[in-house]
Amino acid sequence: MGENISNTSKSKKPFNLLSWLKSGKGQRATIIILFMAVPLFLLLTFTYVPFAKMVQFSFYKMKYTGPRTFVGLDNYVDVFKRDDCFRALWLSLYYMGGAFLQLALALYFATLLSFKVKGGNFFKGAMFFPYLVCGIAVGFIFKFFYTRGFVLDTVLSWLGFNLENLPYWLKDTKINNFSLAASSIWRYMGQSMVLFIGAIMSVDSELYEASSLDGANKWHQFKFIILPSIKTIVVLNLILSITGALSAFEPPYVITNGTLGTATYFWVMNKVAHTNQKVGLASAMAIVLLAIIFIATMIQKFVMLKVLNDDNDSVSKKTHRKLAKRNGGVA
Amino acid sequence: MKKTTKRFLSLFLVLVFSLSMVSCGEKKTEKEETTDKEGTPSFSELKLGEDYTDLSADIKFLSHRTDLQDTVFQDYIKQFNELYPNIKITYETTTTYSDDMPTRLTTDDWGDICMLPTSVDKNEFPDLFVSFGDKETLDQTYDFLNDKSYQGQVYGIPSVANVQGIVYNKKVFEAAGITEMPKTPDEFLDALQKIKDNTEAIPMYSNFAAAWTMGAWDAYLGGSATGDPDFMNNKLVHSSNPFSKKDDMTGPYAVYYVLYEAVSRGLIEDDPTTTDWEGCKGMINRGEIGTMVLGSWAVVQMQDAGDNADDIGYMPFPISVGGKQYASAAPDYCYAINSKISTDEQIASMLYIKWLTEKSNFAFDQGGVPIVKGSQLPAVLDAFDGVELVVDNPAPEGEESLFNELNRESEVGINTDNTPDCLILENALNGTATLDEVMDEWNQKWSDAQSSLGIEVTEE
Repeated sequence: MGENISNTSKSKKPFNLLSWLKSGKGQRATIIILFMAVPLFLLLTFTYVPFAKMVQFSFYKMKYTGPRTFVGLDNYVDVFKRDDCFRALWLSLYYMGGAFLQLALALYFATLLSFKVKGGNFFKGAMFFPYLVCGIAVGFIFKFFYTRGFVLDTVLSWLGFNLENLPYWLKDTKINNFSLAASSIWRYMGQSMVLFIGAIMSVDSELYEASSLDGANKWHQFKFIILPSIKTIVVLNLILSITGALSAFEPPYVITNGTLGTATYFWVMNKVAHTNQKVGLASAMAIVLLAIIFIATMIQKFVMLKVLNDDNDSVSKKTHRKLAKRNGGVA
Repeated sequence: MKKTTKRFLSLFLVLVFSLSMVSCGEKKTEKEETTDKEGTPSFSELKLGEDYTDLSADIKFLSHRTDLQDTVFQDYIKQFNELYPNIKITYETTTTYSDDMPTRLTTDDWGDICMLPTSVDKNEFPDLFVSFGDKETLDQTYDFLNDKSYQGQVYGIPSVANVQGIVYNKKVFEAAGITEMPKTPDEFLDALQKIKDNTEAIPMYSNFAAAWTMGAWDAYLGGSATGDPDFMNNKLVHSSNPFSKKDDMTGPYAVYYVLYEAVSRGLIEDDPTTTDWEGCKGMINRGEIGTMVLGSWAVVQMQDAGDNADDIGYMPFPISVGGKQYASAAPDYCYAINSKISTDEQIASMLYIKWLTEKSNFAFDQGGVPIVKGSQLPAVLDAFDGVELVVDNPAPEGEESLFNELNRESEVGINTDNTPDCLILENALNGTATLDEVMDEWNQKWSDAQSSLGIEVTEE
């Protein structure tokens, strides 16, 4: 039956929608459209429409209910005028510092765990586990963790520290941001680690053998084989952690309520939108943050290209030149 | 064959998809038609157990009392259903109610009854909620209706009214040698010092980590601190420097002075960043805490938290105006009914609210003041003998939303934002700013917002 249909459709020359749909091209198009429709629909309704709305809101003076008045760029001017917005961005430095530490740790554990280790899978699971815990729960865990005389203080006193010499982890304004960043490291380290392990797995294991025959130790293998092969994932992880650092929210929201100098940009934004009901201003803040993240990512990309690809480029340029010479010689 | 069935299946999916979109659009128009504001009776005319007993409706009730959802509220539903068996009530409670509700109100079908959020301005009431009736008529039977009335109509019935004071442990006061109740800020601070010197208890537990407990300090700056029923809604809006220090130690400054000084003199807990709200109830019950600055609603919770219910006392805020003490009495969250639901649902909602107000004994059980005139006051308020209760007067017509607007614009956030109150404690803790500096900043924000909103400044 299928053959019959295709035969008849081939013989007809004027364009017929039904027969076009039955043809190979038509089928491909329908399938593409159908498969695209669902994700596109979801993407539009849950990402782009809300985003467009937010852009629209940022030009209005409005709260959730009640009348809205168009104010042009006033909200954006306010974002730059208010001293609590950009002061909050400085706090991202703590989380960025944390992000670098987190990636270093993740890379270390990933490298260890991608070789044969006793109980390797257990450790992988255990270290990935915090990422599965919801951020709010993590907040509550750390609230108790840092409470005076609770978990952290107890552990430290076993190690011989005197409780009186220990700082107040959340009260002391010199320390509290480090405490919060640490909770963030604990949570996201596993995720970075799993991404690294995935990348390291794709490295050809014959390379290790070959290099060890040449007398390379583990450090050499890491530096000259693993790191160059997983460069893209390192860059990706860096970008993810830095954007994450700029938009840090859960630790200050749950653990300290943004008090004692821990109010990050996101926290201020949440307060402006919900407590002060300045939805327009908060939308403008969100868009300014988007721009900042965008710029930060571009800079990062640019720097990474310069730093990481330099060796390769020079090598390839050299070989290009050599090849060109040779080819020139031949020609 | 397989191929053709697949094709049909895909076509079918496309059809379902587009149809579902069409039906979405249809539902909306249908709903608008059924909304009918006529025919809802007035709240005061409804007779419980006599009118509409065969009415059937499904009512969704949004509330902030997560602690009562499975216990007290279920009990209420059972009792109510004895009178109205066909009205089905479901509660939905959230811990972040005050943040979520304003957002949910932007949709029309959030539910039937809610606790009216403080962030909604009065001039928005008629769009969002059903009127319970004429204010003049309802005023004859109920108190505390000012807060949620607009243009002579009542849009919110208070669930309970609170008297503002301080929860304290009588035994701790006794052990510390406090014989006379403190009546001024300095006397109170001296009393706290005595608790610190003579007992093991924490003189004043700040509950800083919970944040909303810090916001509770705002509740005293009106009636309790000035004794003036016009202060909150009429004078504050037009004042030039309302947060400045006054010579007789009254007004907002005196309230925050107590907080600031208690913190800077080390009369609060050791580490405020890790306080535990649930835990503090048991602590004050056992006498490990001397005082906590919270509304009268808190008393019952503190009494129930342990075996020493009798030790928990409630005292007026230590400010005296011309030698006399006052206490603000104000409604807690008010019940409000969605205006976008059918008439039957509105009537059913009204019946339930009426039942809650008059028959449930909710207010009394929660240690609050019932809003029905002539009700019995809870025993905890015995200590308020000789203390005048102050109920705030409403703002004049045309200025109903002014306080809310100014409060939002300035971000001083009285009764809505906890951050400024938290900042007072932080500054006192680390000595980063004096109270005068903090209050000057509040004044500055207040007058900036006044000028940007074009509000006339007439009060000193």
